[in-house]
Amino acid sequence: MSYLEYNTKYVPTGLRKLLHLNWPIILLLCAVACAGFLMLYSVAGGSMTPWVEPQMQRFAFGLVLMLIVAMVPIWFWRNMAFVAYGGSLLLLLGVEFFGEVRMGAQRWIDLGFMRLQPSELTKITMVMFLAAYYDWLPNKKTSHPFWVVLPVLFILTPTMLVLNQPDLGTALLLLLGGATVMFLAGVHWAYFATVVGAGVAGIMAVFQSRGTTWQLLKDYQYRRIDTFLDPANDPLGAGYHITQAKIALGSGGWTGRGFMQGTQSRLNFLPEKHTDFIFTTLAEEFGFVGAFTLLVLYLLIVIFCIISALGNRDRFASLLTLGIAMTFFLFFAVNMAMVTGLAPVVGVPLPLVSYGGSAMLVLLVAFGLVQSAHIHRPR
Amino acid sequence: MSRAPLRPLARILKARERGENPDAIEAENRARRHEAMADKQRQRAEGRLLVLGLAFFCAFGLIGMRMSALASSVPEEPRASAVGNPIIGQRSDIVDRNGRILATNLQTHSLYAHPRDMIDPAHAAKELAAIFPELDEAELLKDFEGDRRFLWIRRQISPEQMQAVHDIGSPGLLFGPREMRLYPNGPIAAHILGGASYGREGVASAEVIGVAGVERKFDGFLRDPANEGAPLQLSLDLTVQAAAEQVLAGGMSIMNAKGAASVLMDIHTGEIISMVSLPDFDPNNRPRVQATGDQSDSPLFNRAVQGVYELGSVFKIFTVAQAMELALVNPNTMIDTQGPLTWGRFRIRDFHDYGPELSTTDVIVESSNIGTARIAMQIGAERQRAFLDSLGFLEATPLEMVEAPTGKPLLPRNWSEISTMTISYGHGLSSSPVHLAAGYASLLNGGTRVEPTLLRRETVEQGPRVVSEAVSARSRSMLRQVVTRGTASFGEVPGYEVGGKTGTADKPRAAGGGYYDDKVISTFASVFPANDPQYVLIVTLDEPSENSGDEPRRTAGWTAVPIAAEMIRRTAPLLGLRPQVDTPQQVGVTLTSN
Repeated sequence: MSYLEYNTKYVPTGLRKLLHLNWPIILLLCAVACAGFLMLYSVAGGSMTPWVEPQMQRFAFGLVLMLIVAMVPIWFWRNMAFVAYGGSLLLLLGVEFFGEVRMGAQRWIDLGFMRLQPSELTKITMVMFLAAYYDWLPNKKTSHPFWVVLPVLFILTPTMLVLNQPDLGTALLLLLGGATVMFLAGVHWAYFATVVGAGVAGIMAVFQSRGTTWQLLKDYQYRRIDTFLDPANDPLGAGYHITQAKIALGSGGWTGRGFMQGTQSRLNFLPEKHTDFIFTTLAEEFGFVGAFTLLVLYLLIVIFCIISALGNRDRFASLLTLGIAMTFFLFFAVNMAMVTGLAPVVGVPLPLVSYGGSAMLVLLVAFGLVQSAHIHRPR
Repeated sequence: MSRAPLRPLARILKARERGENPDAIEAENRARRHEAMADKQRQRAEGRLLVLGLAFFCAFGLIGMRMSALASSVPEEPRASAVGNPIIGQRSDIVDRNGRILATNLQTHSLYAHPRDMIDPAHAAKELAAIFPELDEAELLKDFEGDRRFLWIRRQISPEQMQAVHDIGSPGLLFGPREMRLYPNGPIAAHILGGASYGREGVASAEVIGVAGVERKFDGFLRDPANEGAPLQLSLDLTVQAAAEQVLAGGMSIMNAKGAASVLMDIHTGEIISMVSLPDFDPNNRPRVQATGDQSDSPLFNRAVQGVYELGSVFKIFTVAQAMELALVNPNTMIDTQGPLTWGRFRIRDFHDYGPELSTTDVIVESSNIGTARIAMQIGAERQRAFLDSLGFLEATPLEMVEAPTGKPLLPRNWSEISTMTISYGHGLSSSPVHLAAGYASLLNGGTRVEPTLLRRETVEQGPRVVSEAVSARSRSMLRQVVTRGTASFGEVPGYEVGGKTGTADKPRAAGGGYYDDKVISTFASVFPANDPQYVLIVTLDEPSENSGDEPRRTAGWTAVPIAAEMIRRTAPLLGLRPQVDTPQQVGVTLTSN
């Protein structure tokens, strides 16, 4: 079914759209963001500066942006999918050549009023484009080799550009997010089995290549893998993040040390405490209860998105909603896995909680798309 | 999927005829089409979603379990556990023969930075530049804002500086414990101790390694943890060393010398009680090695050990002693001193004309080159060489310093007859003051060989015999007469029976061969007390010039001797020597009453 066949009379218009917003998702987003404000307040040592204030402003701005995106009919966004995807590819290329190098990676592009991280934007636009692609593609062709290779290229192009920055975490998220959309769109099992097999072989190759002239990853990435396998090896060097994070989680216990009482984070033992590792602060100050609550909040957002997608008979809208939900899930799952020591430290922020402009704005715009799909669903 | 139009015209027309709402047809058609959506494709998608949901649920469960496992783990206090080879920071002290500290360690702190942890690098840089004036604010800021994770700021800081840095309050500025080698006596014994610097440096500690002198020579011992901090005991006596340095520095300035060295040695054991080389330096702040210029003028240069000079007439006693040992002469044998002595194209002269002949004793007392050369001709090159070898003049001294092997004597390439003659009065063979001290000690202590050492020796076995005791005693008697009625009359120190021999040697020209007319090395080699020898003292001045008279006087009798006498006057009581006052000089009263 395509929106061209809709009777738009059944779709709310004007301000009535506000009533048809998916309010539970908005409330959950606000709750998560508030948890983030609390944590940023705490790691700054009980101060609104330097992190809470800008974060709040960005969240407010992001909410407005989300509403604007939500008001625009979803079919407009579908038509814009290719433009958005192409645009973000251009930005990624721009970063390659004009980007700002910070912390050893070339990820930012200066727009004057803010620094944009195009790789964040690409996560959404790629999902959008893939959803539009499968909406356009007749069902019979979904598993045809040619029509499978094409979206794979759509995924790999930005992934390679991001990997080149280098940003392993975002590249992995792009790859997994894209694959999820393809999987949901109904591409044949065999393809995924093949790719997983090749992936395993690839990982073997990466390990085999270590120390040779054709070494595939950077040394620090190998060290991170080593550290992941045995962080105790190098507790002051490469394993420092994880060791300290685990100490923080352990010292939080079940109920935590209390708000603003976390020693690990407040005493600067934790690096990146306001960005990628903010979850450890939460876990230390509010313990397992707090951390698990946040996990549940995230999960509820994902579940509401899935419900919305299941109730949406439009293929583009439903694929887009699911894709965004999955990207979101991957975001926080990878971050939490990383912090708890289940996965290597790849540098993925905790969505809506970690301090950072691009990620939050892009995420809220993505939820704007989810809202738009929800409002303008065929009835 | 149904491709039927949503508003089939035929049905709508019919409906209109019947007066029904044609929109209902459209609604019905739409509902039918929506049902068609529930086809195989959609079911498949939902199945897939279920699979993903399960996978995600597993991930969720895994993270939850992990978090609960961590939450229930025993909280571990943050700690910095050092891994890898620990750097051993503890270094043994160095003490003098009485256990007084010459070198020890001081706990200080190093200052380093983790720029990434800095909240306000500009402020930190500004404050640091204020505390340490030698740091440049702009450069610090550049480092702090660059890509570096770690940088040293200062390797040692004082407690006051540490407090000031602490007060900056920047979390990116960190301190590490740091042991520092401290020489509490400053420049005293600087050349012997040498100095230390840092080897491998870590945040938690740093390796202190010796760079020169005994610090370097005994680096292994000093760093060996098996010693459990047992100090290294040297033969030096700190008080004597300090007095000797003071006297020598004063003398050097009065005599306008550009350098000076002294060696005070225990005549029986070879232990060096004091050894001074001027100019000196402070080992706490060891100067860099000069890249250009004459290294032997550097303060780091140890003239007493590394400096090899033609020491002049001080060698005459060796010639005379050997001749006596070989029974070629006795102290009263008359020696032909008619000059000049011509040998091939060489002419040997004396400072004064001593007439046709002098007794052997007077050859020493008056310091006759011609007389000594004549005696040497009787000895011959072979025997002279063997004798000097037995006194240690042909090899570098075995002194326990890394610099000692560089003080290798310069020998004539061809030990010819003319070499034999010149060497007999101390020319043509260059050696260091320590060589001379060891040679005098061996000759005068009763005639047994001693090796110079910087380590405290409790007992010492007698070395191989060099000359007989009788010859040794006769030699001392001659040297005593040099002071009482010869060239070293300024050397008399009441009560200590100083004996010694002067030596004034022209300095060889730096380039072009030959000798300077107005630059000398003047040396006084002495033994005291002459009747019961205990110590040997060598004082050497580089380019002295005593200007109180009408014309500059450079001979050792005017320059090195008074300094040596003063040094004995000052140090003998410190060494525990009692002055030998035989008869109170009542006669003086009689004289003044006349």
